[in-house]
Amino acid sequence: MLETLILSAAALLIAAPTSFAAPPEAGDPAPLFEAPSTDGTIRLADYRGRKPVVLAFYYADFTSG
Amino acid sequence: MQAFQADLARFESLNAQVLGVSPDDVETHKKFSASLGLRFPLVADKDGVIQKRYAPGRITYLIDTNGILRFVQKGMPKHEDFLRELGKLKK
Repeated sequence: MLETLILSAAALLIAAPTSFAAPPEAGDPAPLFEAPSTDGTIRLADYRGRKPVVLAFYYADFTSG
Repeated sequence: MQAFQADLARFESLNAQVLGVSPDDVETHKKFSASLGLRFPLVADKDGVIQKRYAPGRITYLIDTNGILRFVQKGMPKHEDFLRELGKLKK
């Protein structure tokens, strides 16, 4: 039984796409990033202790949404 | 993103920083931002490397001042939900 479980878990891990293996959820630390923006370089860590952040991922500029 | 601009004052009144993120480069972001009159930054997520650390698709996160994810919503973000959750952070 235990062996089956371990094998199933291993199979799931192998099948999962590596890029989104474990999406963070509410309660988890926000993954940090540093990237260029329309307002210079943005470092997520810079907002810590200062402001909550609404981080909105969208598909592409010049599309609705 | 124009929807966020329309509600930007409400987000700012709760001290929130709105950040839009897509794989477009800064040049394209600047044109898009200017065309809509956006007054919050658009982050250039080259090759989607930032999004790979989060989750795929149209998704919006609320991050508190301790750097913890407080609220996650897939699809088009409902601003009322985010404003409500931001209000909770202030208490």
